[in-house]
Amino acid sequence: MAAQPQVAQDVEIPAHVPPELVRNFSFWTTPGMAPQKGGNPQAALSFVHYDMPRIFYAPRNMYDGQGTWVITRADDQRRILQDAETFSNNRYLFTKALGEELPMVPLEIDPPHHGKYRMLLNPMMSPKKVDAMEPAARARAAALIDGFKDRGECEVLGDFALPFSVGVALDFLGLPQERGMEFVGWAKAQLHGSPEERLDAMRTVVAFMKDLMAQRKKAPADDFMSVLLRSEVEGRPLNDLEVLGIAILMFEAGYDNVAAGLGFGLNHLAQRQDDQAKLRANPALIKSATEEFMRAYSTVQLIRRAVKDVEFEGVQMKAGDFVSCATMIANRDPLEFADPDRVDIARADNRHVAFAYGPHRCLGSHLARKELNIGYEEFLGRIPTFRIKPGTQPTTYGGHVFGIDNLILDWS
Amino acid sequence: MKVKVLDGKCQGHARCAALAPHIYKLDDDGFIMPGVIDVPPGEEAIARRGLRACPERALEEVQDS
Repeated sequence: MAAQPQVAQDVEIPAHVPPELVRNFSFWTTPGMAPQKGGNPQAALSFVHYDMPRIFYAPRNMYDGQGTWVITRADDQRRILQDAETFSNNRYLFTKALGEELPMVPLEIDPPHHGKYRMLLNPMMSPKKVDAMEPAARARAAALIDGFKDRGECEVLGDFALPFSVGVALDFLGLPQERGMEFVGWAKAQLHGSPEERLDAMRTVVAFMKDLMAQRKKAPADDFMSVLLRSEVEGRPLNDLEVLGIAILMFEAGYDNVAAGLGFGLNHLAQRQDDQAKLRANPALIKSATEEFMRAYSTVQLIRRAVKDVEFEGVQMKAGDFVSCATMIANRDPLEFADPDRVDIARADNRHVAFAYGPHRCLGSHLARKELNIGYEEFLGRIPTFRIKPGTQPTTYGGHVFGIDNLILDWS
Repeated sequence: MKVKVLDGKCQGHARCAALAPHIYKLDDDGFIMPGVIDVPPGEEAIARRGLRACPERALEEVQDS
């Protein structure tokens, strides 16, 4: 069962929101957002650039039924996301869900404190470090594909994309691969489970990381958790909450978007045989195709919260207002991208916002990009021409994190 | 041709260096070195592609005076 939003029955529009800027819109209920067979949830939202005000208010846009401002233009999103002093990223995601203090570090920490954690973590996920992870990641992708190749079909998410992205995340964190399928289960429950299943999975991940932290304190190992335990910020060791927040965030952020991204990209190639043939004839195009798939099939809605009253492009926002910067909306902004609804695997000057802008730019962007490139390269290199298995259709999801599931490819 | 790195704008996307690594040099964290970059003659086109790849708009072309 897909998670359903808990929409409040009697939503009040805040007094400072002009009625002419209110629109009946949400990431749960707008057409194309609910789970459906063979949908294209990103394309389903491009209408906002033509039918909606540049900035509008969606009264029930959040998972819990709260309202947000919706920022449609890429350039407006860039200025908001670059201004983390005004538009805060601290939304207490785990803290609120679990009822105990557990900030996701550094995602939910704002400047100036944010910088000290990024200084610690940036070198661990730099382009150079990520290059060194490539051989192991490529071998993992190859082994997974070779495992189902002779079957003549696979279910992309369960057989390939999730075990691949979770496996790379476990490698990075230094966690045992034997537990990989357990992690895949937690991952799936958090992505598309019911509210109870999501909460259960979050609790399981937190308990696992707490246990791991306790073990590594007693007996340090050659892994990420042990590195965190001996790391310092401002001349003092990281405390337990910081270590836990970082470790959980690295795992949480490490698998789902890469897996969903691979799913949407392979779905495109299965349906667009011309693009698949182009990439087979010219594998050097894969890197550009990866960027275009990230643009056209982005999966993340970034939410910020105004920390003070602010006027932005003529719109009066109040302290506490939520501001939605949906990457899938900005990435189809006709002012930023020529012919934005056309998926052009050779697109030039593709400055998409799939990894956000500003100080919270995705820390794992270099690794994610590497995984996506490897995923497409190995899949196209090892599997002959594929299509959606006749009689099946993938399920696509809107919501706060877009996704795709039950994507069965056939090359028999 | 010169390219100016605008102060405080780089967030380490590293797209400039992905396109033109010999022009846009990154530090160990993957961020661009501050200052003004001299583009070697004949490299203007690839330098401009690298500049246009920056999601933060951290790079700006300055004309030789």
